[in-house]
Amino acid sequence: MLKDYTESNTFKKLRDTSGRVPLIRQPVFLIASCVALVLYGSMLFWASGEGLVIRIALSVFVALLVTWTGIIITDERRGERLKTSIVFLVLAVLVLLFLEFHVTNSEEIIELFFNITVIKKAWPYLVLGFKTTISLAFMAALVSTVIGLTLAIFRSFDNKVLNFFIIAYVDFFRAIPIIVLLMLIYYGLPFLNIRLSAFASGVLGLGLNSGAYVSEIFRAGFLSVSKGQLEASRALGMTPWQTMQKVALPQAFKAVIPPLVGNYVASAKDTALCSSISIIELLKAGTAQQSLNANPSPLIFVTVLYLILFVPLTRLCGYIEKRMKKTQRQITV
Amino acid sequence: MDPIIRVESLHKSFRDLHVLRGVSIEVNRSEVVSFIGRSGSGKSTLLRCINRLEEPTSGEIWIDGVNIHEPYIDINKVRAEIGMVFQSFNLFPHMTAIDNIMLAPVCVRKISRQEAKERGLSLLEKVGLAEKANEYPEKLSGGQRQRVAIARALAMQPRIMFFDEPTSALDPEMVGEVLDVMAQMASEGMTMLIVSHEMGFIREAADRVLFLDEGKILEEGTPDDIFNRPQFPVTRDFLGKVL
Repeated sequence: MLKDYTESNTFKKLRDTSGRVPLIRQPVFLIASCVALVLYGSMLFWASGEGLVIRIALSVFVALLVTWTGIIITDERRGERLKTSIVFLVLAVLVLLFLEFHVTNSEEIIELFFNITVIKKAWPYLVLGFKTTISLAFMAALVSTVIGLTLAIFRSFDNKVLNFFIIAYVDFFRAIPIIVLLMLIYYGLPFLNIRLSAFASGVLGLGLNSGAYVSEIFRAGFLSVSKGQLEASRALGMTPWQTMQKVALPQAFKAVIPPLVGNYVASAKDTALCSSISIIELLKAGTAQQSLNANPSPLIFVTVLYLILFVPLTRLCGYIEKRMKKTQRQITV
Repeated sequence: MDPIIRVESLHKSFRDLHVLRGVSIEVNRSEVVSFIGRSGSGKSTLLRCINRLEEPTSGEIWIDGVNIHEPYIDINKVRAEIGMVFQSFNLFPHMTAIDNIMLAPVCVRKISRQEAKERGLSLLEKVGLAEKANEYPEKLSGGQRQRVAIARALAMQPRIMFFDEPTSALDPEMVGEVLDVMAQMASEGMTMLIVSHEMGFIREAADRVLFLDEGKILEEGTPDDIFNRPQFPVTRDFLGKVL
């Protein structure tokens, strides 16, 4: 039996490499890659100010490079890691060639968009803005969780009057543009003799908006707890509140963590809107420094900071979602 | 003797569906009563009405001499005295076996965690699962889950136990272990109301069998009466199919 298996495996390997026409040798691919090479070659040819021989040599080099890459990445016996690294290497070479022969004003670009002196000057302000953005996002997440969870718990009582108000809240705050909401809170509430600081207004506005989404997420979580669970708890003599606390909430929490984290990340990005009510968060700090220095480098740097903040967060979301799927107890116990 | 459960002309409708059409029963202390009948005959609904998991449309229910529909009655206190075992186990998946068992005694009976744990462990031992105390339900087989569910109900030290098709969701080889536990409880004098299709078990363990048909009690008697001398063609027909 074992021998059969290994034999058929070898056979499969052979057929994979010789029995099927690899992509690189298919006519369509050949023609397409030839056209691409000719285009790239002519681009190099016309764009550079170098001599004819260098241009021809370059074109041939690129042609060979691309063909060789194609042969390697269509070879099924090579490992995935090797293929990936080769593709990235080749892309890097092509980019370098492009920069070398097409971009003649690279110093200007660096001066304008990656100006170290300007960034150094702007740095303390950007850090302040970064901190404000983080605390805004954190406080808004806190407020939205309190609002959302409270609404979802009241919603689960299934009282018609309560439901009307909760649905009205959710619909209203999901529909209203956040900027308008922030304006109303910051510039409107003082007329009702309620004066909130810019930061508090930002937290309240973002929290009210995000709370509407959070309540829907928690509601879905509660609905995911089966009726049998609630009945079992009630049949033991537990009160509705004990049932909520000990049986429904823990199970609902588990189900809602992935969409909840996703929602926090989304609402954290909305902190940028708070620049409209004079909160100096990251974006506002960036634009201010941009106009002060008459140079957009701080904005580019702000983008980098946003990436540093949000790429790990979105990765975290994906990771949690994957882990929950793996450990989810999908049983009707 | 005073009946521990008395139900009088109980009706229950789900919208247009009239499930119970005037059921009256009395159950004495330590009696094991079994309900049989075709699916949809109202057996489960009857049990669920008695502890008010379903609200009856009309009718009166007394448990231990107390009318459970009186406004001053705390239904949670009534339910605490009635253990219920479900077809689908309904163990709490986020708790270990012992935590499942300890939850209600601690929350409802307000006994200490230590005492609840001791009680829970001895109950687990009783149902033969002492070594599974710290397992989550997902790690247990169907029969083990149902035995934990029984232990969970018993931990409240109820005066009455309801079994709503406790073995219907089990693989055939696991039915026996659950029925053994139930037989032991019956022999210890627990008042039990059992909805089941395990005719062999009912014949052995039940004191009285009630045959429900279309929301009414058509026939009642000892297992011997019902199984060997059924009065009605419907009963004969049903028993012919399940025996």
